[in-house]
Amino acid sequence: MFLALKEMTRAKARFGLLIAAIALLVFLILFQQSLQNGLLTSFVGGIRNQSAPVLVYSVDGQRILQGSIITPDLEALVESAPGVGEVGAIHQGTFTVTSADGAFDASLLGYADPALGAPTTIVEGRLAESLDEVVASSADAESGFDIGDVVRVEPGGLELTVVGLADQAQINAGPTLYGTVDTFLDALRAQNPDAGTPLPNVLGVAPADGTTVDEVVASINAQSDELDAFTKDDAADATPGVAQVRQSFQVIFLLYGLVIPCVTGLFFLIVTFQKAGALTLLRAIGAPAGRLVASLLIQAVLIVGLGYLIGTLLYTPVSQLRLGGIPLEFETAAVITWAIVLMALGLLSSLVAARRVLAIDPVQATTGAGVGR
Amino acid sequence: MSTSSSAPDTSAPALEMKAVRKVYRMGDADIIALDHASLTVQHDEIVALVGPSGSGKTTLCSIAGGILGATEGRVVVAGDDITDYDAKQLTKFRQERVGFVFQSVNLVPFLTARENLLVVDELGRRTGAAARARADQLLEELGLADRRNNLPSQLSGGQRQRVAIGRALMNEPRLVLFDEPTSALDTQLGEQVMELIRNEMKSRGTAAIVVTHDERITHFCDRSVHIVDGHLDAA
Amino acid sequence: MKLALRELVRRPGRFATATVILTLIAVLLMFLGGLLDGLIRESTGAIRAQSGDLIVYSDTAQASFLRSRIEPDTRATVDAVDGVERTGGIGVVQLGARVPGNGPRDLASVALFGYEIAPDGVPDVPADGQAWADDILKADGVEVGDELLLGPARSPVTVAGFVSDTPYNSQGSLWASPATWRTVLTANRPDAQLADDVFQSLIVEVAPGADVGDVATAIDAATGDTETFTIDDAINAIPGVEEQQGTFNQIIGVTVVIGLVVIALFFALLTVERTGLYGVLKALGARSGTIFAGVVAQAVAVTLVAAVVAGGLALLLDAVIPPGSIPLLVTPTRIVTSTVLLLVAAIVGCAFSLRRVLRVDPASAIGSGS
Repeated sequence: MFLALKEMTRAKARFGLLIAAIALLVFLILFQQSLQNGLLTSFVGGIRNQSAPVLVYSVDGQRILQGSIITPDLEALVESAPGVGEVGAIHQGTFTVTSADGAFDASLLGYADPALGAPTTIVEGRLAESLDEVVASSADAESGFDIGDVVRVEPGGLELTVVGLADQAQINAGPTLYGTVDTFLDALRAQNPDAGTPLPNVLGVAPADGTTVDEVVASINAQSDELDAFTKDDAADATPGVAQVRQSFQVIFLLYGLVIPCVTGLFFLIVTFQKAGALTLLRAIGAPAGRLVASLLIQAVLIVGLGYLIGTLLYTPVSQLRLGGIPLEFETAAVITWAIVLMALGLLSSLVAARRVLAIDPVQATTGAGVGR
Repeated sequence: MSTSSSAPDTSAPALEMKAVRKVYRMGDADIIALDHASLTVQHDEIVALVGPSGSGKTTLCSIAGGILGATEGRVVVAGDDITDYDAKQLTKFRQERVGFVFQSVNLVPFLTARENLLVVDELGRRTGAAARARADQLLEELGLADRRNNLPSQLSGGQRQRVAIGRALMNEPRLVLFDEPTSALDTQLGEQVMELIRNEMKSRGTAAIVVTHDERITHFCDRSVHIVDGHLDAA
Repeated sequence: MKLALRELVRRPGRFATATVILTLIAVLLMFLGGLLDGLIRESTGAIRAQSGDLIVYSDTAQASFLRSRIEPDTRATVDAVDGVERTGGIGVVQLGARVPGNGPRDLASVALFGYEIAPDGVPDVPADGQAWADDILKADGVEVGDELLLGPARSPVTVAGFVSDTPYNSQGSLWASPATWRTVLTANRPDAQLADDVFQSLIVEVAPGADVGDVATAIDAATGDTETFTIDDAINAIPGVEEQQGTFNQIIGVTVVIGLVVIALFFALLTVERTGLYGVLKALGARSGTIFAGVVAQAVAVTLVAAVVAGGLALLLDAVIPPGSIPLLVTPTRIVTSTVLLLVAAIVGCAFSLRRVLRVDPASAIGSGS
């Protein structure tokens, strides 16, 4: 500890620069982690966090709620599939909705059965119980979609009251409202009096007793090539763009993750090379090699730790922001995971320098082969 | 470990080397650095080891200090037979039993004068307050009290050498090895340092070997031993 | 300078790790930039390809084709505005396409356009029932002559040939006659069908010499219910484009700063190590400027090597990534701008070492043991 700390306080500039570099890298990694999760949650959070364990799309819908249309024939096929328990229609549409804060492109979901399509992450209030009530995505509470707020579906001016807030319940990165099928139809007719009775977009399905969700998915898909059944998590992952976002960020994380051990490894290698003279001297006067390596590892831990701490401190306020329509969140799991990964990589990279320390021959102190003073 | 358990025998010779041989392999050839060298240094004796460069004096010094192992022969330091010590035991031996003042790199550049003394204790016994008191006392004796918080780069050559002497005395060694302690200093400063070494050794009753190629400083020592091509010749 | 470069050639090992790090950072810059370019291209291609000067939407459409609707009398009003040379109707419908030979659930996402004025790179309007296909649809197995079946109604459209760089909303576009588009729209999206001669938007060619901005203002004033954009403004009005650019550019900016810090760190450490050498050089009469120029030359050389390797890796990545997965687009422009950014960072990073070079005392070469 003594040597490690003394050296760091005597060479503040160089250790400071290294800590700054690591802090910036950590900040970027965590920020992009929030960005990735925020992006995905704002597009498919509502699919993940609704009550139907299985969602059935029409193949032509290409796994987009609004693009999918379930005809009565398809609905009959689903209901007759082996292992299917309850089936409930789900409608989704994009409406211009005005709140106290202005006009928004909002998604409205209508479910026939609260057990098959209602949001599961209510953090405040309750589900809709009457025609003019909806639950809103909590991310938009501050945009005039808070409990008690009245919003209007335009054109037509249908008024809806927000009675509950659901976390991570957005789709299409905008305000998302959940009500009953009748509320949805009211909104549609208010907008276009000639709309008639539209077909459901997707079906929510619960498996019958004794059947697993995977079995139900397989059994529905076997009914027709026109049906596309998924568990709700698979439905979220299969939404167009989700895989692309994931793959893109994976490459980014991999590259940033590689830069950190390279920077710390290089730093310690050069520093060890520079102080080879002092290390040789210490070995000659009886310092065990293990102690010198320990001192190096302590520095690595301190530097990665401090860099990580500063990076996280930079990240914390940024993680509370909204980017466009995407609310970011402080990703505790990512912060912990990356801390472990980067600490391990940082230590691993400093082992290259440690090998050099172990290779020092104390006899060089007598020949003056070391560098420095 | 045996080094720490054996009771120090204050009257035993500080160093007994018997028929020590050191052979280096360089490529295909064997180079004999020391050839059947025998040397005894009494417990309070200061011996000058004089010889031209390449004569084997640094090798002898390294073997006496436990930095190098001998190829043949026996090495006993203050009653401890270190001949068959392994690397770990030698490290501990250097830490506790001998003091070194090297020719070139002598101080850790990022530690102050005082910390360069304290590092000896940090690496070994960790006596804390006792070590701090000893370091302050040594710096006082060496006339460095007002320099103790300076980094090596802020000290003159003579001051650095004095810090190194203090460092070598920190672990209360029975034997201190000086490798060309005055080579980087001018004549006047060199004599001052040698006088200091003599006073410090004699007042403590500590034995020392001073390696030099400079005959002018041998009169600070009790006797001189000459070495040529690995052969000792007690004068 | 020569000495510095000779050191690089003779002792490449000591620069290797720094070069590897800079290469990684350069790859990151190019990948991030390429991703941005790719995302922007996929969402803006169809509009960027428009050969006209202006796009007219209805004023409630928020610059979206799908929500816009231009009646024939509005078009007549636009045609009559001073400075309007020609107008062309345009409309789009987004559907799943069944490609011959693909599995029953394996649909290609397409955006079928009906157009009157041919966008850049798109031939004149094909015969009814045919369409020019964007070449990103090749990744879905689409070939010339294929009959694609669009939407739940399985409306047939035959691929007449391929065009490039015209995707819409990350979907491969199909360019067809207004009649074909209207037929497919009516069959598959009855709720969104439009009467004959009604389009979603108008592409306007401005007369030579007329000011594009003035004409846009004049069109909106004449119709009273349209919003007219220049092509560039229409691209930026696509939801997400500006946010994507802002976010990516910030990430790229911080990454450049990291590159700067890494270079500063590396050369600061290297300069410390060479203090003795610099003392000797100064004693021999070298000026601080010359020595510092050597340091900068090394930084520039290391950065250039890193950038060249990274450029190659980025192009390789672009080639290896299967079409339809990561929307990466690596262009020479992006490689060059990333390199320039990194070079600037390298030179600024070196400046941290300048102070140390200046401080080296030539007298240190004489007297000191080393």
